[in-house]
Amino acid sequence: MNSEGGGASEEDRPRDDEILAFHHAIRAADAEKLEFVGDKEPLTVLAAEYEAGNPVFKAKVENLGQSYFAIRRARGDGNCFFRSFMFSYLEHILETKNEAEVRRVEKNIEQSKRALIELGYQEFTFEDFLSIFVEQLESALPGRETSVDIDQLVQRCRDRYISDYVVMFFRFVTSAEIRKRAEFFEPFIIGISNMSVQQFCKASVEPMGEESDHVHITALSDALGVPIRVVYLDRSVGADGKNTDVNHHDFIPSECSGVDIPPVVLLYRPGHYDILYTRKDEGRQNE
Amino acid sequence: MSTPSRKRLMRDFKRLQQDPPAGISGAPQDNNIMLWNAVIFGPDDTPWDGGTFKLTLQFTEDYPNKPPTVRFVSKMFHPNIYADGSICLDILQNQWSPIYDVAAILTSIQSLLCDPNPNSPANSEAARMYSENRREYNRRVREIVEQSWTAE
Repeated sequence: MNSEGGGASEEDRPRDDEILAFHHAIRAADAEKLEFVGDKEPLTVLAAEYEAGNPVFKAKVENLGQSYFAIRRARGDGNCFFRSFMFSYLEHILETKNEAEVRRVEKNIEQSKRALIELGYQEFTFEDFLSIFVEQLESALPGRETSVDIDQLVQRCRDRYISDYVVMFFRFVTSAEIRKRAEFFEPFIIGISNMSVQQFCKASVEPMGEESDHVHITALSDALGVPIRVVYLDRSVGADGKNTDVNHHDFIPSECSGVDIPPVVLLYRPGHYDILYTRKDEGRQNE
Repeated sequence: MSTPSRKRLMRDFKRLQQDPPAGISGAPQDNNIMLWNAVIFGPDDTPWDGGTFKLTLQFTEDYPNKPPTVRFVSKMFHPNIYADGSICLDILQNQWSPIYDVAAILTSIQSLLCDPNPNSPANSEAARMYSENRREYNRRVREIVEQSWTAE
């Protein structure tokens, strides 16, 4: 086939699927250096990372140590927010053994399911994903045949099948929440992407590997009714040009208005989320 | 052997039989649930009207986390369809999500026929003709429609 019009013909340039496969291969090679969720590490590992780096980061990491004592890294494959949320929340259930909390969240899951169906999704396309997450929730509670301990929870969250299915379920829930409250989310979506609500959900929420930002976090937190804290580690300094306090934002769904520190605390560095552990929980979590 | 992907494909098939969208049909081959044959009928009142275009869908055990490989078996002339029949469509590539079932895939391909995306040409001749000489483009499409009745 000859291209008369000049420019690249389809033979000159790699096909889209080839470019995509290449892109995936690079990302996979990079990502597989780390588990979906890593081991719990003292916050000093973060300080070591910035030892020779930017002084603002360095000062902020030091300040971070006042409120937080440990970090658990998530793999940087575009799903790190969802994987971090999954582990952090399940670990919270495991530690608090709070059955009422699980029932409350299961009610919210039921609502998300109805929302998906009302939006025209076929139940069979998401039911497997839903039941895998509910299984994980149930196993995080004690006294069941399927109950897990922390090591088993880590193993499960590193299992590709379980982890990917739960991430996908969160993506469905997030998408349904955004579509259901399109009017609320529209201005935020326009602010970051120049897409319509429908396009945004199709392109940036529903596919695996698409990164998350505050729109996704708000939607997932509201849909499941789980508060999330995001601690921002970036280069910004306070108004006086010196303040290196670390900012955070708490995403608190309306049904949880009395919450002090959210059960899920994530560290955000541009383009990536990891799990943080608050000093308040230090004693309990070091048992 | 029953795996998550096979179980899911059975449900895809059930839905396609019970509630088939207009102008598409599809079914797994007799002895292989991972390989489907499908037909897309050209939408009415378009140059594609009357065409019966055959496709195959090859699934892997990663389905529905990964999309199937979809190819036209019938000869096509379309800006987003390669010479070997493979299709350049966002939901079959970087925008894939398990939320799509076989019915949704085939419906998306059907709408791609009349609504090509000239920004990602897989057939540059068809893409150029589509934007510069629609009359000639439509004539070529009619040829393809006629071939679809006879060719294997």
